[in-house]
Amino acid sequence: MNNRLKVLRAERDWSQAELADQLGVSRQTVNALETGRYDPSLPLAFKIARVFGQPIEAIFTED
Amino acid sequence: MNTSLEAPRPSLLRKAALLVLLAALGGAFGFGFATLTDGFVTRWEDDLAVFMAAAMIGIGVVSAFVVATRPSEVPKGCGILQVIVMLLAGVMFLLPIFGTAWATPDVVFGAIAVLLAAQSVANLMLWRAADEMLRRVMLETSALAFWAVQLGLFVYAAAERLGLIGTITGWGLTGMLMGIYFIASIVASARRGIT
Repeated sequence: MNNRLKVLRAERDWSQAELADQLGVSRQTVNALETGRYDPSLPLAFKIARVFGQPIEAIFTED
Repeated sequence: MNTSLEAPRPSLLRKAALLVLLAALGGAFGFGFATLTDGFVTRWEDDLAVFMAAAMIGIGVVSAFVVATRPSEVPKGCGILQVIVMLLAGVMFLLPIFGTAWATPDVVFGAIAVLLAAQSVANLMLWRAADEMLRRVMLETSALAFWAVQLGLFVYAAAERLGLIGTITGWGLTGMLMGIYFIASIVASARRGIT
């Protein structure tokens, strides 16, 4: 699965650690999400969508 | 895309310092265990257990250094719990070999039981405190280790039943199990970019 996490984070001028704090996960998890090494659970995907104020399908897309 | 927003990469000097620290730790462990085990450890099972204990204590010490220098609030308490689990596992692997130099076997066994209970609680707390990716890594480590161990155990048991190879003690099997678990943990972590 592809995602726009890195772009959205950069647009907001957030560090990985700041985003991790908002999501309640570790910085390593944010890094793994951004590099495509980990696909989030549905609850975490909803949380990410809430944090960025966008629908899930605008952040995550199929390969 | 602004890549400067990512967590700052450690400088070359810091990497070099970390390498020197790791080398010093490795040297200290090597010297310490060579001194400790000189004329004491004569069985390969004990050699393996001492090696696994050294690896776990070494990783525990390095993790403690990382937790101290780069503290992370999220997930809360995970770093320190991982350190506790590693250090306790290392000590528990050393006690059956060296513990009887200071206490009777039943006292040593009692100490191991207490440490095992404490480590189980720490493991449970770690599971509860972990975020979803760390839990996934733990699950994948367990699945990978179980698959490898049951495969190896069956092959060994069949060969042993047929009289093709000698019997391995439970202590030896435990050391091998921990080695396999260690490798599985490294593989599962590396897949998620955790190094």
